[in-house]
Amino acid sequence: MVWDLLITGFLVLAGVFGLVGSFGLVKLPDPMTRLHAPTKATTLGVGGVLIASMLFFAAKMGHFSAHELLITLFLFLTAPVSALFLAKANLHHDRPQNLPHPEGSEWAILRIGTDTAAETLAGPVPEQPLTPREGRET
Amino acid sequence: MSLLLIVILPFLGALLPAVLIRSGRGMAAAGAGLATAAALAGVLAHLPRVFAGEAVVARLDWLPALGLSASFRLDGLAALFAILILGIGLLILFYARYYLAKADPAGRFFTYLMLFQGAMLGIVLSDNILLLLIFWELTSLSSFLLIGYWSHRPDARAGAVMALVVTATGGLVMIAGMLVLGGIAGSYEISQIVKAGPAIRDSGLYPLALGLILLGAFTKSAQFPFHFWLPRAMAAPTPVSAYLHSATMVKAGVFLLARLWPALSGTPEWFYVVTTVGLVTMLWGASVALFRTDLKALLAYSTVSHLGLIVMLLGFGSKAAALAAVFHVLNHASFKAALFLSAGIIEHETGTRDIDRLGGLRRLMPLTFALATLAALSMAGVPLLNGFLSKEMMLEEAAHTTYLGGVWVLAALTTLGALISAGYSFRLIVLTFLGQEREDYPTKPHDPAIGLWLAPALLVAVVVVVGLFPALARPLVAAAAGAVVGADMSGVVLKIWHGLTPALAMSAIALAGGALLLTQARRLQWAGVALARLSAPAVYAAIMTGAEAGARRLSAALHDGAMARSLAALVLVALAAGGWAFASAGLGPETRAMLPVPPVVAVGWLALIVASLWLPFLHRDRLLALVLIGIIGLMVSIGFIYLSAPDLALTQITVEVVTVVLMLLALNFLPKQSIAEPFALRARDAGLASAAGLGVGALIYALMRRDFAAPTISAYHVENAYSGGGGTNIVNVILVDFRGYDTFGEIIVLGIAALVIFALADVMLRRPALRRLIAWTPDQPRAGDAHPLMLVVTTRLVLPVALMVGVYIFLRGHNAPGGGFVAGLVVSIALVMQYMASGLAWAEARLRFDYHALIGAGVLIAGLTGIGAWFAGRPFLTSAFGYVTLPPLEKFELATAMAFDLGVFLTVVGAVMLALASLSRLSHRAHHDERKRGETG
Repeated sequence: MVWDLLITGFLVLAGVFGLVGSFGLVKLPDPMTRLHAPTKATTLGVGGVLIASMLFFAAKMGHFSAHELLITLFLFLTAPVSALFLAKANLHHDRPQNLPHPEGSEWAILRIGTDTAAETLAGPVPEQPLTPREGRET
Repeated sequence: MSLLLIVILPFLGALLPAVLIRSGRGMAAAGAGLATAAALAGVLAHLPRVFAGEAVVARLDWLPALGLSASFRLDGLAALFAILILGIGLLILFYARYYLAKADPAGRFFTYLMLFQGAMLGIVLSDNILLLLIFWELTSLSSFLLIGYWSHRPDARAGAVMALVVTATGGLVMIAGMLVLGGIAGSYEISQIVKAGPAIRDSGLYPLALGLILLGAFTKSAQFPFHFWLPRAMAAPTPVSAYLHSATMVKAGVFLLARLWPALSGTPEWFYVVTTVGLVTMLWGASVALFRTDLKALLAYSTVSHLGLIVMLLGFGSKAAALAAVFHVLNHASFKAALFLSAGIIEHETGTRDIDRLGGLRRLMPLTFALATLAALSMAGVPLLNGFLSKEMMLEEAAHTTYLGGVWVLAALTTLGALISAGYSFRLIVLTFLGQEREDYPTKPHDPAIGLWLAPALLVAVVVVVGLFPALARPLVAAAAGAVVGADMSGVVLKIWHGLTPALAMSAIALAGGALLLTQARRLQWAGVALARLSAPAVYAAIMTGAEAGARRLSAALHDGAMARSLAALVLVALAAGGWAFASAGLGPETRAMLPVPPVVAVGWLALIVASLWLPFLHRDRLLALVLIGIIGLMVSIGFIYLSAPDLALTQITVEVVTVVLMLLALNFLPKQSIAEPFALRARDAGLASAAGLGVGALIYALMRRDFAAPTISAYHVENAYSGGGGTNIVNVILVDFRGYDTFGEIIVLGIAALVIFALADVMLRRPALRRLIAWTPDQPRAGDAHPLMLVVTTRLVLPVALMVGVYIFLRGHNAPGGGFVAGLVVSIALVMQYMASGLAWAEARLRFDYHALIGAGVLIAGLTGIGAWFAGRPFLTSAFGYVTLPPLEKFELATAMAFDLGVFLTVVGAVMLALASLSRLSHRAHHDERKRGETG
């Protein structure tokens, strides 16, 4: 009984977050703010369903299910990345004017040639010529 | 030696020169010669049995139900031709070794020559007409390569194309004739067809079969009016002319006439068509030869004339004429090859082969003079040389054959032919060797070294020996003639003196007339001019121009470079075929009830339809279209999951991801908006697409509402997947076992496709395409921060997990959804993510393996797994499986199918990555400079 209530509670909570997220997607005024609605809704809404699922398997089926943890992990990995790319696309495409600027510089996406991962990319392997075949034709 | 081995030997020998040419052309020629000599020895070893009237046979059934078998038969006729092909082939190889200039690629020459030799040997030894046809076309192809050997010369290229067009077209026509013939006779085996002679001649289809087969034979043997390709083929190196265009290939048509002689000859149609064509060819060729000043052209036309003579003899339809024809094949091959080789010597040593610029070579080149003169006198039909013997037999037969109602017609015309033949032979000797020595030879003439004169000397030896002692040639000629007429001819006698016969008188007239013709040559110049004007193959040119224009128009109409048009043509044909099939057969009653449609499914179905309908309206915005395609793909995958097809769903999702990435890369270079086509085109495409799509939908609906007419194969798969293939995942067992051959072919195709993409992209990376690529300005502004830190870190974090998933899917594949194909795609996606996040440079710098090698390794592993089954005595790709227990692990299954699946896996990874990396390399190159500008600016 308690378990049932708990599971239902999480499911309802997830549904509410999903509804709020969808509503926000329609209601919020501009792309940058609109971005918040679905990303938060995905993590929290889907998270609620997953917790409900884990509880269901543990209580009703009598075994622990780890799939949900993996799904959570992948959601936590992918949702921010897709949000980042949506934001970047918006910055690049619409050039919104009312955004605060990063201190002392411009948004990286707006400056061709910048690379936030430059240090990470300069790994221990020396760079080889890109197209080794090119040299042969001469 | 088995006949199969004899036929294969020249083809094996064709490989040797290509390998041995690094050790010099002497070695290359020796390698080719060794194979030829071995094949010749094999044929000679069978001679006693052949002379005894037996036939040696060898047989390898391939598709007996279709009448396709590799059956070979060596009888007298085949032995005569095989000895000519291999014996003269050996001499030609030796001669060519010294003839070819240093700059000529000799290895290629010997390889082509051996290919030709194998094809020709195949023709004469085949006992199956379908097999014969394959070799027939192979001789056309190898002759094309040999004529065009000096490919820098326009006349060689034109001559090669003309020879190929004429002889290969004839061959194609003959295929139809052979099929008709086989249909009448009820067998494609020559030995059976020959026995069915009377039935064939009585059949209503006989004239059709005869006409088609004769067309093939006449084009190959350069009979009038298809003779014109032969003189043009003289652009080939002289050894080729001597070998193909006098001794062997042009005799293939004659051979075929002789081979089918018992089946086809003896009717008025045969007599009049074959005799007339042969007679006209003989007279025409001889007349043209009389006025040619180019030695090789003269010899070419004389060859045409002599081939006409042989064809005419076969047309007579009598046994004695067939004997004469076979004998003349042998004699003509020996003296004409010797003459061609002598002409080659003359050109080699004097720098010209124009007899107007020669003359007086008698003292300068005494040896060549002796050889060429003996051969030419034999061609003229002078007694004590072999040409005399067969010509005498020919005249004798002509004098006894009624033609157009009179005996004298043929006698007169053949005497005329022999007379002109004597005339051009004398002219060749006189203008080349006799007369005053000149001062203006292009180079100083002298006799060649042994390398060049030995081959013609041996041929001339045959000319003289057979001429003096015809009895020596008797067994071979009698056996060959016996094989032609299908009767025992061992009783025939070949001798020089027959007494005072009409033929002797005709021969004397011909020789005297020939000498007279020589003295009157100047007065007859006008005739030569008139003939030259007539002989221009204007019709051929007109046909070729017309065919070319027609082909161009047709291909332009079918595809003009726009994909929409070629797809429209394809879809239209498919629609027409489907419509025809539907209209010509009824539709049975519906036997299966509709399944209920749950609401969720209906929603998904609606979403799919809306997305599909939306696509045509939005497709001009390509990025949006790509998004829609992605949605449709995902909906289809969900459909697969709903219909319990997890394997398909997995494949669909992974393919969807790879496709979208691939298209995004390509979209980088494409305009983001496509141009609107005119309304008519859009209407056409819409109509076609709707008809085809709805048609396929209706077809599937109709299929699913009915029980199948025959039991399906599914039950077999379900029953045998575990017991036969060792797997519980039937889809995977089908892929790697039941239909492993298909999968093997498919991964090869996949690999080839990836290599093609690589090749196309590689071309773009070279000048001048590279310059254009660098100068290319993107059609929309570029973004900064190409490798966001967040993505870089995430993808690197995910990489090992994704690889593990790939391995997991691969390992479970045989028993649960998954398998090599899906695993390959998953791993590819994991790798592509690295490219996308960290950039091409970073990814390639860390790449430890080559995608090309990966594709090769995959195909190789799959192939070797298949071959492994042979060692167990099973057919290709039979799988085996067993259970293994290793102490720390549980009992697990090992199947050879897994090794095959590994091949699939590797090929898929290699192919997908090669395609994606090629495209990303392009875009990297295009943006490289731009990025540099950004850094400095």
